[in-house]
Amino acid sequence: MIVSIKDSVKLFGISIMTCCAVTVCNLFLNYYLDLTAIADLIDNPYAQMFYDAHIMTAKVVCAVSGGCLAITTVVMLFFYIKHYIDIHSKEIGILKALGYSDFKIAKGFSVFGLSVFIGCMTGYLLSFLLMPQFYELQNKDGYLPELSIRFHWILFVLLVIIPTVVFAMIAVCKSLLKLRQPCVNLLKGIVKTKGKSRNTRDKKTFVGEMRSSVLRSRKTLVFFIAFSSFCFSAMIQMSASMKDLSSEMMGLMIFVIGVVLAFTTLYIAVSTVIRSNQKNIAMMRVFGYKNEECKRSVLDGYRPAAYIGFVIGSVYQYGLLRVMVDIVFAGVEGVPKYKFDFPVCFITLGVFIVVYEGIMFAYGQAMKRIPLKQIMSE
Amino acid sequence: MIEIKDLTKFYGKGESRFKALDGVSVSIEDGEFIVILGASGSGKSTFLNVISGLETSDGGTVAYDGQQLDKMSEKELTKFRRDNTAYIFQQYYLLPHLNVEKNVRMGADLDNNKDYLKFIEAVGLSEKRKKFPAELSGGEQQRVAIARALAKNPKVLFLDEPTGALDEKTGRQVLDYIIKLQQEQGFMMIMVTHNSNIAETSDRIIKMNSGKIVSITENTDKKTAYEIGW
Repeated sequence: MIVSIKDSVKLFGISIMTCCAVTVCNLFLNYYLDLTAIADLIDNPYAQMFYDAHIMTAKVVCAVSGGCLAITTVVMLFFYIKHYIDIHSKEIGILKALGYSDFKIAKGFSVFGLSVFIGCMTGYLLSFLLMPQFYELQNKDGYLPELSIRFHWILFVLLVIIPTVVFAMIAVCKSLLKLRQPCVNLLKGIVKTKGKSRNTRDKKTFVGEMRSSVLRSRKTLVFFIAFSSFCFSAMIQMSASMKDLSSEMMGLMIFVIGVVLAFTTLYIAVSTVIRSNQKNIAMMRVFGYKNEECKRSVLDGYRPAAYIGFVIGSVYQYGLLRVMVDIVFAGVEGVPKYKFDFPVCFITLGVFIVVYEGIMFAYGQAMKRIPLKQIMSE
Repeated sequence: MIEIKDLTKFYGKGESRFKALDGVSVSIEDGEFIVILGASGSGKSTFLNVISGLETSDGGTVAYDGQQLDKMSEKELTKFRRDNTAYIFQQYYLLPHLNVEKNVRMGADLDNNKDYLKFIEAVGLSEKRKKFPAELSGGEQQRVAIARALAKNPKVLFLDEPTGALDEKTGRQVLDYIIKLQQEQGFMMIMVTHNSNIAETSDRIIKMNSGKIVSITENTDKKTAYEIGW
């Protein structure tokens, strides 16, 4: 088997992503199921309104955070599979040359489902740790009858078993598609390139061309960088608003999830960019390119995506909270008015600029340590 | 002019430590074409890497017109490589996502050379300048690597087994290109090879064994790439 369990454990990005998704979804879905069980006990219109708002909140939060994180996890899984096949193309090529079928090789990728299981299981257990405090806060004003936490096996199946199986199947299908290429291409590690057939002279400088080609060669990473700043922007601004709209605990939970997701995704994206360009960076330095030029060509192309992600995150969190306040909690007394919080937005932007540029600077410095021997050792 | 004195280089630690270069001394004049011959493990590639500034030595000195490499900071070494040297490797190391023209610009931009297309023409790849490395044969890729190195107008060109991965016909073609361009432009050229026939095309032949220079021979009967055996 070419893909080992150790390889699966290395996909910690997927585990963290699924852990966050399952924590949030299980908290709200368990609460939703326990709420629906006491629907008959609600005897006044005000409590009914409060009940409806909570039911709606649970649905919106699960659909938005669960859906968003599930899609991102699928993208991340596709990215990992492509990356894995790219860096192990020679071994896979040898297996194909020896007569192993694509399906036989692709079956091995089902092991990637293990990282989903680890994340889902951790998130599931974590949500039960947070659940007593979460239930207490949801009903802190006592509008609803007393709620007790119950175990719903269906949620375990839905949030742990099914994602593991589905992701294992997706991994097999995706790798099957990726393996459908001539054996010789895999053995030689031939890179597919799409060129423009313009017959004019290129006007961009080499560093500019390199920057564009780095972006084009791994488009998924552009998504990850944008997603990382989206998480940072949306979750941090939302957590500040949540303190007023809901509770400090909700605010803190959203803050932690946002920061963890943002840093995990950024780490995965940037370290992959550098790892996959090590040879190119070493070659540039052999020719006498300065470290700043190497950094500019490899990392700077992602800056627009990062700032666009930040803007989308700001708009997204505003839209989501507007929907919650104006539609879901419409008519519920005591819900404070919600306005776009410009000071929080600017503070978050300031922190984002410092953190993002600081991380990029640190990675730029780390690029200095790539030995020129990198290219001589092959 | 490069002056190399008592160059030593060690690899490994403890019991597995061995001397890859053992007191190597030689001077190389501007515009000279030197071939370094030796069996696998003789230290010839290490020698090339150390004198080109890609690796540091553990002892001895390498001086370019009096400027000592071992006294330079990382920044100065980068500037030195930028202004003076170019490298051609056995495995080409082209950037796979850039076409021929853009790969050649990698060298050309460092010398602000706008006339880089003439190098693509010189290596006979004008028709293929929009092709990507994966769309070229081994010989064509090596020719791109040559154009890339020459487009930066180096004062010294280092070549590590440039024909090692090529068949005889393509190897001769590539060698012929390099020698003609060196003669036209007059840069210093230092080539590492284990093919003793190639040495017949050079000005001087340095033979190495066990990290030491065993002989330095003037070649009075220079041949072309098509006159030597393979």
